[in-house]
Amino acid sequence: MKVAVIGAGLGGLLSASILSEMGYSVEIFEKLPFIGGRFTSFKYRGYEITTGALHMIPHGSRGPLAELLRKAGAKVEIIDSNPYGTALYGGEEIDVNRRRMPLRSKVLFALLCMKNWFREVKLSELERRLDDFSAKFLRAFLGWSFSITPEQTTLTKIYPVYRSILEHGGPGVPAGGCKAVVDALVDVIRSNDCAIRKLKVSAIRKGNCGFSVYFENGDTEKFDIIISNIGHEETAKLMGIKKYVKLEPSRGIKYSISVRQPFIEHTGVLFTLNTRRISGMNQVTNADPNLGKGNFLMAHQPMLTSNVKFEISEGLKDLKELLKGYDYEILAIQSFSDGWPVNRAIAGSDSGCKTPVSGVYVVGDGAKGSDIEVDGIALGVKDTVEYIRKSL
Amino acid sequence: MIVITESCVGCATCMLVCPADAIRVEGKAEINYELCKNCKKCVLYCPLEAINFVETAG
Repeated sequence: MKVAVIGAGLGGLLSASILSEMGYSVEIFEKLPFIGGRFTSFKYRGYEITTGALHMIPHGSRGPLAELLRKAGAKVEIIDSNPYGTALYGGEEIDVNRRRMPLRSKVLFALLCMKNWFREVKLSELERRLDDFSAKFLRAFLGWSFSITPEQTTLTKIYPVYRSILEHGGPGVPAGGCKAVVDALVDVIRSNDCAIRKLKVSAIRKGNCGFSVYFENGDTEKFDIIISNIGHEETAKLMGIKKYVKLEPSRGIKYSISVRQPFIEHTGVLFTLNTRRISGMNQVTNADPNLGKGNFLMAHQPMLTSNVKFEISEGLKDLKELLKGYDYEILAIQSFSDGWPVNRAIAGSDSGCKTPVSGVYVVGDGAKGSDIEVDGIALGVKDTVEYIRKSL
Repeated sequence: MIVITESCVGCATCMLVCPADAIRVEGKAEINYELCKNCKKCVLYCPLEAINFVETAG
């Protein structure tokens, strides 16, 4: 069985490594001159600045991504955060951990109410019923994890994620950052004699048996199964399908900061509660000093308006207040929206890995399972592999 | 000459790969033409094909 994987992002690489381990003949096509999509990094002024992600795996070594990496035989060390994080609230730093997970009783209470009322409860509605700390924590958590606000989602959509945190625990940092995960997957794929080619796919057409993949350079190749890592919309366009579900992306801004004195003492997330925009920060060099020179901070904010310049100016005001008294330099400001977003689909609105055409699957962002970021991607890949296995 | 188009979202991939350190990004990429050597690395690496190279006379 010949499998074509379009796009060498995390979803594509993960699918390719697992399927190649299972004995499928897999070929990966990537249009860009680098591998890893939004889950890799480039060394910039001595710091591993990511193309998107935050050098973090939401559920660390116990989550769905770690499980699939082990299954694929990819060698990645994940440093679990302890505590999961802390919350900066009114000048005080409060521990966030499994036992003292804020919101727990309140979310369950609200869920109970929801079940009784038979309706979708907007998280902003729940927020109004929470105490000030819990309400602000909810906002910061959604901003950090999904680049959304409580107004943009409902309890039923976020509840699986909440359950997953209780089940799998909090975040971890891969040693070597997200690039190390990508490199380990590439090693697995190459050791199984599967090729990763820098080639842009221009069209896919279904034939009597299998698919013809047309490339920008004029070549054509036949495959039995297509796995697309470029989202549902772009996949439909390649297939010449005019009708497809248009997903609403989430947008955010990431700041990479070098700071002379350590700002965060742990390897988890510092949720920032009394801010205009910034929802959280992590100091990734605490987990792996090789990710930067000295102390390397990453801060993230959701975009609340469509005016990027204004959003950045608000974020910078927050950083100035948060880092008051610290000697710091902003290395990079990166905004993510439209074709290179934080998420191709707002949390809870990913539209699954199946497509209207049997034999064509979408993995990666936009086809995530019910979990955060790359752990959601892992769940989507797991489903796809299962569908392919069963279809034969 | 390197030209940034409307499709730029400001992801800064071009800034990270520019060997001449000629790109600054704050919401959108901006080229410092005094430093730019027209190597076109940014054109190749831009995930959105938002950077073009335009031949200029002379």
